[in-house]
Amino acid sequence: MTDVSSTSYFDLFKIPTSYDVDLNILQHRYRELQKRVHPDKYASGSSQERRVSMQQTSLINQALHTLKHPVERAVYLLQLKQPNFTMGNQTTMDAAFLMEQMEMREKLHVVRDLEDPIAELETMLTDVQSKLEHYAAEFSLAYDVDAFDNAKEAVRKLQFLYKAKTEIDELITQVEDELM
Amino acid sequence: MALLQISEPGQSTAPHQHRLAVGIDLGTTNSLVATVRSSEAQTLPDENGEHILPSVVHYHENGVIVGSEAVARAVSDPMNTIVSVKRFMGRGINDLRLLGTKLPYQFVDKESAAPRIHTTGADVSAIEVSAEILKVLKNRAVESLGGELQGAVITVPAYFDEAQRQATKDAASLAGLNVLRLLNEPTAAAVAYGLDSGQEGVIAVFDLGGGTFDVSILRLNHGVFEVLATGGDSALGGDDFDHVIAEWILQQAKHHSDPEPGLVRTLMLVSRKAKEELTETTQANINIHTEHLQWLGSLSRDQMNALIEPFVRKTLMSCRRALRDAGINSQDILEVVMVGGSTRVPYVRNKVGEFFEREPLVSIDPDQVVAIGAALQADVLVGNKSDADMLLLDVIPLSLGIETMGGLAEKIIQRNTPIPVSRAQEFTTYKDGQTAMALHVVQGERELVSDCRSLAHFELRGFPPQVAGAARIRVTFQVDADGLLSVHAREQNSGTEASVDVKPSYGLTDEEIETMLRASIDYAEEDMQARGLREEQVEAQRVVEALDSAINADGELLSDEEKQKIAQARDKLIEAANGDDGETIKHAINELEAVCEDFVARRMNTSIRNAMKGHSIDEYAAEDK
Repeated sequence: MTDVSSTSYFDLFKIPTSYDVDLNILQHRYRELQKRVHPDKYASGSSQERRVSMQQTSLINQALHTLKHPVERAVYLLQLKQPNFTMGNQTTMDAAFLMEQMEMREKLHVVRDLEDPIAELETMLTDVQSKLEHYAAEFSLAYDVDAFDNAKEAVRKLQFLYKAKTEIDELITQVEDELM
Repeated sequence: MALLQISEPGQSTAPHQHRLAVGIDLGTTNSLVATVRSSEAQTLPDENGEHILPSVVHYHENGVIVGSEAVARAVSDPMNTIVSVKRFMGRGINDLRLLGTKLPYQFVDKESAAPRIHTTGADVSAIEVSAEILKVLKNRAVESLGGELQGAVITVPAYFDEAQRQATKDAASLAGLNVLRLLNEPTAAAVAYGLDSGQEGVIAVFDLGGGTFDVSILRLNHGVFEVLATGGDSALGGDDFDHVIAEWILQQAKHHSDPEPGLVRTLMLVSRKAKEELTETTQANINIHTEHLQWLGSLSRDQMNALIEPFVRKTLMSCRRALRDAGINSQDILEVVMVGGSTRVPYVRNKVGEFFEREPLVSIDPDQVVAIGAALQADVLVGNKSDADMLLLDVIPLSLGIETMGGLAEKIIQRNTPIPVSRAQEFTTYKDGQTAMALHVVQGERELVSDCRSLAHFELRGFPPQVAGAARIRVTFQVDADGLLSVHAREQNSGTEASVDVKPSYGLTDEEIETMLRASIDYAEEDMQARGLREEQVEAQRVVEALDSAINADGELLSDEEKQKIAQARDKLIEAANGDDGETIKHAINELEAVCEDFVARRMNTSIRNAMKGHSIDEYAAEDK
C-alpha cells in the first residue's frame, strides 16, 4: 500500500519528474484530486475523516505550490536526488551577474524619481522575466545530465531574480496606487 | 425509539432523508437566511413576509429585540441599540477607535481583547450581539422548515482576518448553530451566479456591503470555483458613504460642536436615505428637524460622487492588486459580478465598469445573492447531493507569519495561498543555554510586526540548553478550510512541543462559550449535561454513518480481521449512544476512531490514486488540455 505522503509531488500528480512542467495539466490534475479529498467532501463525516482530509488537502496544496514555483520546484528536484540538500546561505560567485543585480537594485531605489516610473519598472520586469527563463533552462539542462554543481549555481541565480521580480511587482503596485 | 438504525456494516444503508441546512449572510446592515428546497435555493421570510433582517439589536431591562423593531429605537435610544456590530467583530478597543466613527456606546473591559458594550440590559460583546441576530435567523429557519438544523454555512467577508473569522464562528456556536463552513462572501456570490449561468472562465466579484469591501478573482471550471486572488478592506463600506454625507450636512448646517448620539443616528439615517434616493434621482432633498439641529437643503448626485470618490478609488486599488496577484489582465475577465447593497450607487457601478472595461452584472439581487450561494454550499456539505460536482477552492486573504529579531515579521504563509494549507519553517536560538522561546504570531503584509495584526503569543519551554544556533525549532502553521489557524512548535533535537489555536487572544475559549450559553435565556432551562449528551449522540451518529458509507464503498480495503474489530467497536458505540452517558459515548467514539485510523488514511490514499487513475506519465504529452 503506497502512502501518498511519501510519494513525490510529481508522482502525486502523475507527471514526469522534470523541471519542465505543463502548468495547464498540473492545474487540471490538481482539480481532479481536490474533487476527491477536499474537506468539503467530508463535511458531514467523522472528525477523523475531516482531519485526514485536511492533512491530505494541505499536502496537495503544498505540492501544487512547489511545482508551480520556478525556484521551489528547482530546489525540490535537487532534494529528490540528494535528500539532505539545502540551499543554505551560499550565494553565487559570478561577478558579472552580481554586478548586474547591484545595478538593478540601485535603479529600484531611484526609479520613483524618473519621468515614467511605471514604464521603467515594466521594462525591468520584462528583463528579469527573460533572465528567469534563461536560468530556468540552464537549470533544466544541468539537472537532466546530473550536473548538480551547475544546477545549484542556476538555482542561486533564480533565487536572486525571483526576489527581484517580487520587489518590482510590489513597487509597480505601490506606484500605481499613488497615481490613482 | 433507538437513536441509531442498526444495519450490518457493509450493507447498503438506506438513502438518508433530506437534511436541513441553511446558508446565513450575517451582514453589517442586513442579514438573511436561505435554504435549498426542491432543489431551488431561496431566502426565508419571517412571519410578516420580510426576507431581510436588519442587523440591529436593542437591549432593554427585560431582554433583547432584533431587526426592524430595533431599528426604530436606534435614534431614540442609541446607547442601548447596537448597529453595524460586524465592524466590531474580532476587534479590540484601539481598532474601534481607528474606525474613525463617533460611536455612541460606552465600552467596558477596555483592556480586554474583546471589549463589551454597556447597555441597560447587560454588558455585551460583539460576539454576543451577533449571536442574537443569528438566533433569530436560526429560529426562523427551524419554524419555516419544521425541524432541527443539521448545520449552517455562515458567510464572512473574504478579507476578514483570523480574529474576525474566529469571532464569527464563536457567535454561531453561541447561537447554537453547527457551523459546516465559514464561506467567503464573494465566493458564495460566485456560486449563486456561476451555477445559474453555467459559464466557464475567469470572473471578478466586486462586493461592497455596508461595512466591508471584497474583490475576488475566480476561475470557474466544471463546477470547481477556484479563487485565484482576493483583496479588499474589512472596514470600508456603505456606512462610510453615509458618514461623509453626514459630515457634509453638519458642515453645511454650520454645526461645529460634537453631535449628540441621537443626532448622529438621525444624521446617518437621513444620509443613507439621501444616498439611496440618489440612485434614482440626481437631487435629494434633506430635511432635518431635531432638538439639536434644524436644516433644510439638498444634495446633488455629483456632490455625493465627489464625497465618496476617495472610497471608490480605494476599492479600485484593491481590484488592481487582486488582478496582479491572480496574474490576470482585466481583458481576460469574462464577467464582473456586483454584490452588496452599496453597488447600487451609480457612481460605483460606473467606476467599476470603467475599470474592468465591461458592464458589470447585476442580474441577481445584490442583497440576496450571498445567502443563496451559502445555502447551495450548505446543501452540498450536509450531504444532500452526494454526487455534486461543485467544489469551492478558497485562499487566505492576508499573509501569516511570525515575529523575528528586530520586530520584523517573517511570512510563513503568503496571502492568496489556497486553503487548507500547512507550512513549516525552522528557527533557532540566539543565546547560549536558552531553554525557552517566545513565539508571536502575526497577520498582514507589512514588514514591521507593529504594522501587522497580532494574533497570538505562546511559548515553547523546557528544551535542553544548547549553544546559540544549535536548537532547531520547527514552527508549523495549519490553516483549515474555514481559514482558521493553529500553530505548533517543536524543538527537533529534543522533541519538546507546544501548540496553540489562535483562539485565546481574540475569540472565546470553549469555557467562555459554555458560560455564556448557561447564562443566555434560550438555554436557561436546558440542562447543560443534556446538551452535552445530545452533542455526543449526534457525533456518534455522524461517525457510524460515515463508517457505514466508507465500508460500503471501500470495504475491500479491509482484512476480515480488521472488519471484525471495527464491527465490534461499532456495536459498542451504538450501545453507548443509546445510553445516557456522554462520557461513555465519547470514549466509544475514540475507540472506534482508533480502530479505523488506518482505514481512513488508506481510503483517502486510494481515493487520490483513483483520481489519477487512467493518467500515466506517458500520456502526459498527448493529453487534451
